[in-house]
Parts: sequence; C-alpha cells; structure tokens
Amino acid sequence: MDLCFRSLKAQTWGINKPSSQRSSSTHIRLFYRYRDLAPQLVPLDYTNHPDVKLPYELIGSMPELKDNPFRQRIAEVFSEDGEGNMTLDNFLDMFSVLSEMAPRDLKAYYAFKIYDFNNDDFICKSDLEKTLNKLTRNELTEDEVKMVCEKVIDEADLDNDGRLSLEDFQHMINRAPDFLSTFHIRI
Amino acid sequence: MTIEQQRQGLAFSGSGHPTDQESLRFRRVSSRMSTQIYHEPNSSTSLAQEEEQSGSEPTLELRNTVFPMALKKAARQVQQMQVPAQFNGGSWKQKRIKFVRQFKSNVREFLYFFSLWGKTLQKIGGRNLVYASKQPQRLRPRWQTLLSLTGNFGGGVQSYFIFLRFLVILNFVSFLLIAGFVLIPSIVFRSVGIKPESSKADVSSECLKYDPNPQGLVVFYEFFLDLLSGTGFMEYSYLFYGYYNNSVIVTSLVGSHFSYNIPLAYLLTAVFYFAFCLICIIVRMGKAARVAVTTGGSDVRSYSMIVFTGWDYGCLGSKATKLKQRNIYYRLQVDLEEERLKKHAASLTLCNKVTLHSLRVLMFFVAVGLIVATFLAIARATTFSQENSHVPGILGLFYTYLPSIVITLGNFLVPLLCDQIALLEKYPPSATVVVALLRAVVLRLVSLGILLFTLWKQIMCHDSRDKCNLCHYNHEDYQCWETSVGQEMYKLTLFDLLVSIALLVLVEFPRRMVVDHWSCKLTQWVGRQEFVVPSNVLGLVYGQTVVWTGALFCPLLPLINTVKFVILFYCKKITLFYNCRPALRTFRSTSSAIFFLAVLLFGWILALVVMIYSVAVIHPSFACGPFRSFFRMWKIVPESFSTLPEGARDFLFFIGSQAFSIPLFAISCVFMCYFIALASIYGKSVAMLRAQLKLAGQDKQFLVKQIEKMKPLSPQHNEGEQD
Repeated sequence: MDLCFRSLKAQTWGINKPSSQRSSSTHIRLFYRYRDLAPQLVPLDYTNHPDVKLPYELIGSMPELKDNPFRQRIAEVFSEDGEGNMTLDNFLDMFSVLSEMAPRDLKAYYAFKIYDFNNDDFICKSDLEKTLNKLTRNELTEDEVKMVCEKVIDEADLDNDGRLSLEDFQHMINRAPDFLSTFHIRI
Repeated sequence: MTIEQQRQGLAFSGSGHPTDQESLRFRRVSSRMSTQIYHEPNSSTSLAQEEEQSGSEPTLELRNTVFPMALKKAARQVQQMQVPAQFNGGSWKQKRIKFVRQFKSNVREFLYFFSLWGKTLQKIGGRNLVYASKQPQRLRPRWQTLLSLTGNFGGGVQSYFIFLRFLVILNFVSFLLIAGFVLIPSIVFRSVGIKPESSKADVSSECLKYDPNPQGLVVFYEFFLDLLSGTGFMEYSYLFYGYYNNSVIVTSLVGSHFSYNIPLAYLLTAVFYFAFCLICIIVRMGKAARVAVTTGGSDVRSYSMIVFTGWDYGCLGSKATKLKQRNIYYRLQVDLEEERLKKHAASLTLCNKVTLHSLRVLMFFVAVGLIVATFLAIARATTFSQENSHVPGILGLFYTYLPSIVITLGNFLVPLLCDQIALLEKYPPSATVVVALLRAVVLRLVSLGILLFTLWKQIMCHDSRDKCNLCHYNHEDYQCWETSVGQEMYKLTLFDLLVSIALLVLVEFPRRMVVDHWSCKLTQWVGRQEFVVPSNVLGLVYGQTVVWTGALFCPLLPLINTVKFVILFYCKKITLFYNCRPALRTFRSTSSAIFFLAVLLFGWILALVVMIYSVAVIHPSFACGPFRSFFRMWKIVPESFSTLPEGARDFLFFIGSQAFSIPLFAISCVFMCYFIALASIYGKSVAMLRAQLKLAGQDKQFLVKQIEKMKPLSPQHNEGEQD
C-alpha cells in the first residue's frame, strides 16, 4: 500500500516524538487528498522521488480553496515554479502553514507573500488595491479604494516609504488578536 | 556550523537554476533565518548544548522556519548526521522542561474536553476556542454540514454565549456556597426538631403575627398560581427568607464542642457571595483588559486590520464567501462613512452647527423624557400591584405580575423609539452605537432600581406614617417584608424566562416559517431575524442583577437562575441556528467583553446598595426569618463577636484598630505607586521601541540609497559581492 511512503516519511520527518505520530497520520491523509485530485498522475510509491506536479486548475478546484478569492495567490506562493503547479512537497507545505499548529511568524511571512501580488517583497498601493478588490468583489468605488489604501498605509507603514515591508506587516499582525484563527484552513 | 551547512543545503538542493530574484529571496530568507536562529537560543539558558542534546529542539525550530519542504528535509538530514558533542547530566534540565511543557499541554487538552458547551461555542464562532489539536478531526463531518447550512456567526455572537456560560458557572458555584453554609444546616436542624427562639418580649403581639399558609379550602388551580407567584405553599418554604430559623445551636457533647450560628452564617454567606462575584468579575475584566491593551485598542488601526485579517480562510461554500465579502464591504463602508461625516462636520458653517447641536439637545431631552415616563409607569404599576395583591384568581396573577410586564414592555418599546430619535440626531456611527447602548443600560438597571425604591417606600410607609409606628415597618401589609421582596425578585426572574420562551415559540419560529415559505415584498423587507448581541447581553445583565438583589431574601434564587440560564442557552442556540441569518453588521468582540463586564459590575453595585440598605437601615421582621430578634441585621456580628475566645477577639480588635489599618493603608499606597510607575514605564518603553523601529527603517532606506549611489561607481566590486 503506502508502506514505501510511510518509510520515506519516517526517515525525513522524524518519528522520535509522540506528537509526530499524529502528524504522520495527517501527512498520510494529505497525501491521499493530493492523490485524489489526479489519481492517474500521482503514483502510490514515492521512494524514487518522482517529479510530479499537479497543475493549478486541479489545486484550485479543491473544495477548501475553490471559493477563496486568494486561491491563485496561495497556489503561486507555495509552488516551486511560482505559477501554481504544486508538487507533493509544496502541497504539504501549504497545508502545514495554514494549519493551526503553525506559529504566528511563519503565518505572517506567508500572508505577506500572498498579499504581495507583484512579488517585489513590498506591499505597495497597487497590491493593496488588488487585495481590496478581491475582498469586496469590486463593489467599492475608485475613490473609496484609494481612501482605504491611503489609510492602510498611514496606519501600518512605520518607515515612511509609502509601502509595507515585511517588518511593518509583522508588527501590525502582532497586534491582531484573531489573525491566527482567520489564517487557517481546516482539512 | 549548522548555519553554514544550512546555507550549503540551500545551494545544492534548490530547485534547478534559481533566477536572480529567487536567489535574492533565498538569501534574504537565509539572513533572516540566521538572525532568527541566533535569537531563539539566546532566550533559553545554554545554547549549543540544548540544541544538540534534545533532538526535538532544532527540529522544532526548523519546522518554524520558512524554508520550502525540500530544504527542511535536507537540513534535517544534515542535523541528524551530527554526533552530539556533549552528553552529561544537563539533560535532566531539558527533560524536566519538556515534561512540564507536555504536562501543561495535556492538562489543557483534558480541561478543554470537559469545558462546558465547548463544541457548541466552536460551532457558533466558527473557530477553535483555545486548544484544538484533537477536536477538528472528530468534528469534521458535522462541522462541514453545519457550515454549509449556516456559515459562522462571528466573534460577537460567540462572546454572548461565552458570557452566558460564565454566568451559569458563577450562579452554580454561588448556589453551592449558599447550600453548604445555610441551606443544609437549616435542613438538618429542622429535621432534628430544633424550634426557633422567640423574639424579645417587649414588642406587641401584632408584630409577631405571621400566617403564610392559606386558610380553609384551596381551589386546585391555586397550586399553579402559587408556583408562579411564590405565595401559598411556596412562601413558607426554603425558597424564602421567612422559613429560616434564628437558631444558635451550641451543643457540648462528650468530648466535642459543636456550635452553629445560623443567622451569622446567613449574613456572612450573603456577604461572601457578593465578594466572590466581585472577584470573578474583576479577574475576567483583567484578562479582557490585558488582551485589549496588547492589541492597542480596536479602533486605532481598524483599516489595516480589516484588510489583512478580515478574510477568513476557512470559509467554505460560495454563499458563506459572498456573505463574508459583503461583511467586509459593510465594515469598510462604516469606517468610510465616519471619515466622510468627520470631513462634513468640519466643513459646516456656524449656523448649521448651531442648529445641529440644538437639535441634538432637544432629542436628548426627548429621550430622557421617554425614560422618565417609563419610570413613572413602573412606579405606578408597582404601587397598584402591591395594593391589589389579594385579588384571587387569574386577575390576581395578572396584578402580581404587573410590574414585570411594565418593565419588559418598557425595555422593548423605549429602545425602538430611541433608535428612531437617533436617526434625527445624526451622530457618527460609532457614537450612535455607544449612545444607544448607554440609554438601554440606564433604562434597564434604573427601572429595576425604581421598582425596588417603590417597594421600599411601601414597606417603610412613606405615604401613611401611622402604619409603621408599631413595628418600625409596615406590618399590616407585609407581615414578613423580606419574603415579599424575595417574591418580587422571584416573579421577575420567572417572567423573564417565560417571556424568552414565549418569544421563541410565538414570534421567532413563525417569522422564519413565514419568510421562508411565503415570498412577497413585505416578507423580503422584514427578512429573517438577526441575532442582536447588545440587547441580549443587557437582558442577561438585568437577570443577574435581579438575582443579586434577591439573593439575601430568596436563598435558592441562584439555583433557579442557573436552571433559567441553562434553558436560555439552549433556547438561544436553537433560535440562532434555525431562525437567524448571519448578521451583516458584526459586533466588535474585543472591546465588547470589557463592556459587558462593566455593565455587570454596575448591576452588582446596584444590588450591593440594596443589600447594604436592607442590612443596615431597615428593621428585620419580628415574625419570621433568622434575624427576628435583632434591631438591625448586622447586629448579629457584634453579638457573636462577644462569644469568641479572648485571643481571637483581641486579634480582630487589633485588625480593626488604627495601629494596624494606618500602616496597611500606607503600604497599599506604596504598592499602588509602584504599579502605576511600572505601567507608565512600560508605556514609555513601548513608545520608545516604536520610535526605534521607525529610525531603523529610515536607516535602512538611507543605506539602500547609498548603495544605489555607489553602484555605478564601482561595478566590478559589486559583481564580486553578488556571488
């Protein structure tokens, strides 16, 4: 069955601690979810590290992600090629960061990358505008969008360069009491 | 050493040929990771030993890093290849730390498993409350169906149910306190057959008359009426003050001295009950305040909070997603509206400002007038009800419940009218919410105060002086006035519960059925019900204040209230899941916890005033109760004082004397100054650190600009650096 997968996982993720038994069952469950997306592409045997990438369309059709307006950005951030095509490692990475066990700093880092649409390591005004439009389904008017973007940069930008760096973002996230619970996908 | 190898790991197991940007990203990541790994061991005691001995520590840190999965695997392989350098008895310390951590997490999971209604609260809030490692997998199938049906209701509604759970536990523990010290001894002594002592002889026999049991034949439905109004067979029972004896038992059996002073126990239990409730409220307020302080107030950075943390990634289903998006849109609109109003208000001419302010003053007086009219109605209804309390039958029941009916009607109609008034006042939205809440709070709690004041007037006969000459209280109408007050509170509690259940059955379910199955313009406009958090919370606070006021006169009231709140929890849960749609306007949950507790504290103060007045000013009834032979209720304390042994008496006198209290006061002032100084220092250091962050950012910008300047000057030097 998936004995090969289990033994490989035992080598890499370490089964010394009792909690990892729980996490290994989670990993197996995630592997089956990954495989269910395209059974003909994903082999059961991972000992030879096959290079299998599932295209973004399959990932984006998962029920946990299909209604999320940020699903494309999530897939792009966690995929190796930056296009949304994910290997098993990327898939596991994604759901481990979005699980409840992941620490705050890790989540803040990936949230920053998700909201950074142009991948320049800063959240600038255009990134904010795109985020807002995704959040409100384009229902805000142009003026309102501009006003909200200005307000956000006013509030969060500490080094006054007109855009948010990772430190600004993390500093703001530390003040948010429910960030950990909203940045969380249950699978 | 480990960091170098991790950097090498970056080089050989990266994916193919990374682009310039990717390599830059990895470099930035690795530099950040190096600082992070340097910082984390610094926080613990001994760095390298701990990292190498406990195999879990570096793997835990590695799990927290932002390397992709392949890099983490490689790094872990490299770590496992390292042989631990030292292995001595220092591992006992790590084992102990690990054991303590594991134990704490196990205890937390265990307690969470037993927490009251934990799963229900999760379903309502849509989020895991405290500790969620085991729960999600078991809940998964039910969870998904529930979410697809309803969508989550958000933190505001969840905070209502958390508050309700807190009140249930508070009432239950208070009941245990009262049962242990007052109820069970009374039952024991009564069953043993100890008779109450008669009161002093120098009082006329008129005052000693008390016949609560109905005379002659009793109609069968009287049982039901008595159950609802606390009269008849219920009056002379453990439910009310009048049944308890003033027995002071002192037995000296062979080899043991047993004494139990029931009146003293009654009074001290009441005092400790109030103190216990105060401590619980203050502790909870402290926890909520700590959360509010660390998040720096909810209004300060509302826009960035909504944009970056407003989206719930766990939202499933297109309907729930659309609802969430509308919710975020609405919240942003509210904030933008406030901005627009501020700008508009700043741009008003003087004439407009004057008219606006005068309109606001006028509307304020209208609102005050409405509230005062309600108070007058309540006072009149109470007087009428007390005068006509002996009318038999259903009409009599209606008269006894008249004050409760008037209070409930007032609390329902007046906020509706105030909402209409608020439309004319044109305050900004946040101020409107606060003003409406303040008005509702004043209405609810002061109406209860008016009821009590009217009762007090009747008991102390302010209208007809001659009735009170004989017994210092109105013995003609109230042979046992404490029981009458207790009955009034009992009726209020019961009526509250009956109204909630009646509303659920007669209004909410039919409304939902009509809206669901009959689509016309009217039903679309009315729509399904929304769960309005503030008015529900004020209802809870009102109920709890009634219980606190009545606890001295009706010792079983906390138990009745526990049962009532449990029934209310399930009723509200049913109505939430079946009848309500998820609200578009969410109630902010972080500041609301403190607000609920502050209003509860206000109710507590009202109840305390009533208790102090009853204990210190009004003469207890001659005919019934544990204090029948005392001039005032608190007189029991000095009397039992005199029976204490000499050493204890001297110690207590010393505590009360100036020699002890003045140094105590001075020491507590010193402590208070210390805490104030500490708080101001923390505030200053937070401001300083924030300024430092700003400066660091500016330094970074300056350095980047310098690098940009130097780039064209020395291209070969820079190419060497980039490798």
